[in-house]
Amino acid sequence: MAGPLLHARGITCRYGGVEALAPTDLRIAAGERIALTGPNGAGKTTLLSVLAGVRRPDAGTVEWEPGARDHVGWVPQRPALYPRLTVRENLRLFAGLEGAGDPGGAAEALIARADLGRFADRRASALSTGTLQRLNLAIALAGAPSLLLLDEPTGTLSPDQRVRLWAWMADLVRQDDMALVFSTQSMDEAARNADRVLVLSGGRLLHDGPAGQLDEAGFMAMVGDHP
Amino acid sequence: MRALRAGRLLFAKDLRVLGRSRGLVAVLVGYPIIIAILLAIALSGGDRRPSVAFVNLDAASGRTVQVGDERLSIDDYSTRLEDDVDLVRLGPEQAEEALADGRVSAVLTVPRGFIADLQSGLKPPVLRLATNPRSPIEAQAIERNLESAVFRLNQALATAYVTQVLDLVDLIQDGGTVGIFGRSGTLLGLAQSDRELRRVQAQLRRDGRGALADRLEPLRDYISGVGSNLELAKPAAQAIASPIRLEIREGAPGREPLSALGIAGALVVGIGLVGVLLAAALLSAEREDHVLSRLGRGLAGAGTIVAQKALLAAIACTVVGFVLLGVVALTTSVTVGRWLLWLPALLLAGLASGAFGLLIGALARETRTALLAGLMLALPLAVIALIPGNDIAYWASALAGFGPAARTFQGLLVDPEVTASTYAGMGVLAAVALVYGVAAGVALGRRMHA
Repeated sequence: MAGPLLHARGITCRYGGVEALAPTDLRIAAGERIALTGPNGAGKTTLLSVLAGVRRPDAGTVEWEPGARDHVGWVPQRPALYPRLTVRENLRLFAGLEGAGDPGGAAEALIARADLGRFADRRASALSTGTLQRLNLAIALAGAPSLLLLDEPTGTLSPDQRVRLWAWMADLVRQDDMALVFSTQSMDEAARNADRVLVLSGGRLLHDGPAGQLDEAGFMAMVGDHP
Repeated sequence: MRALRAGRLLFAKDLRVLGRSRGLVAVLVGYPIIIAILLAIALSGGDRRPSVAFVNLDAASGRTVQVGDERLSIDDYSTRLEDDVDLVRLGPEQAEEALADGRVSAVLTVPRGFIADLQSGLKPPVLRLATNPRSPIEAQAIERNLESAVFRLNQALATAYVTQVLDLVDLIQDGGTVGIFGRSGTLLGLAQSDRELRRVQAQLRRDGRGALADRLEPLRDYISGVGSNLELAKPAAQAIASPIRLEIREGAPGREPLSALGIAGALVVGIGLVGVLLAAALLSAEREDHVLSRLGRGLAGAGTIVAQKALLAAIACTVVGFVLLGVVALTTSVTVGRWLLWLPALLLAGLASGAFGLLIGALARETRTALLAGLMLALPLAVIALIPGNDIAYWASALAGFGPAARTFQGLLVDPEVTASTYAGMGVLAAVALVYGVAAGVALGRRMHA
């Protein structure tokens, strides 16, 4: 593990008058794998959106390691891509938007990396759910991220697709030494794929500890006390 | 540089997506063009004769007026008007009801004493025309038709009266039988009077009464002067009867008449709908594809997205505008020139309507809602932009840039010289585009970072 990639202090978000995220502090180190878990409406997506720069917090700051802010990969829960473009065209477009000098070459590299060669000329609207999610993730890799943020990446996948996706992501993290923060509603998935588990409930960070420290019963007792 | 690059990439992406969405493009571009063509045909209506109720309140008098050899009644008068409009003879109450129900476009009333006024010449007779305020475009056309008909009738009456006056002048000069304004008799005439005086003078001189004969000389000078002046009055009277004559030459056969209002209307509706619907659909589609959160992370700002889509909508509108103008130039008798001025006019009109559509697209939650809202707002605003001479309609339609666009297009089509108001119209279009563009950018920015 390297030094801190970012340090968030007192991040607070409100939707109207409702506090979606109470003041929250968080440190993420390079190469770290962090799972955000908690029930629906816990504030997981809100925290990820702030870290991704998609949402501005109502209070608090995020301090980044120099240059790290420009290398964040964002994988929203629903695939964020153009259904009428092919896999190759989507990747070329987003590589171009990320500033790649050779968007075509970058797209081919991503196709190979995500094993999307068979689908490269197929429109995104014609892909299966699992392949679409791989494209969604491949687009996030177009900016060579040092931090990858994934919002419930396996929520719509079948068990075998989940296994394949996590195996691929484990390879990515290992090869690129990138940090990974993902949200999930499954304690099992969090324990298997993360080094550290954060539990959020009602917009409050209730737990921040190593994976395996908290079991299902402990998690239920924790979120049951904070509906 | 990064914003320019992002704008260029998204522009190319939008073109590619539109190329693959032929059904959507057919709806977004084809539908406005069909509406525009139908509107142009409806507004041109060169061959259509309006239906006008004719109320004769002077019928009971049964009076007629003698003009030259002709004796005219109200019926003769109305027959001449039927060259221009379809007259429906009705009573005053029936005519009012017919106008209110929209069965007739106007009511033309001949008031009591019309023929008496015409005959006396003491005050000009008046016809009263009431048009339907709910159809201002048609009302304007009817006013023009009846003004033209009344002008021609007045000219015919004036010519008849002048001919009658000239006959009278001839009679004063040459003498003969008088038959005017119901009176008759024999008139000696100036020439005959002069001959009689000369004969009397000669007789007096023969009788040695030369002094008395000389005293008649001023009378002969007076007769000579009157005769000369009456000769001068003839061309003057002719000039009064027809001060200016208009020669109308028939247009080349096979070309349909199409008014400038119709063409401007077609352009406003066509460009307005294409710009609003295309821009609204393009922006709301970004949201529906969930890419805004990805783009908003610094890949493309709200300003870049709004600018590239406004430009795309403006180019599409310009192409549609030039296609419509080309059709007009090739198939109608209207001359379309000033092509270099049409380019900024169409681009600015496209930018304004595109920016309006982008605001709708930024506010709507999904593409279908954006299209429906765009259609519901744009269509009535585009149509009221065509109501002539109504400031409220102009400023209401100016909300989407349609009013200034209509005035600019009409100015380019009909003004003999390009006036400051045409350039002012383009300035308003640029301002509208800027205001809506900024508003759309703010709304989109809030969506991207909500």
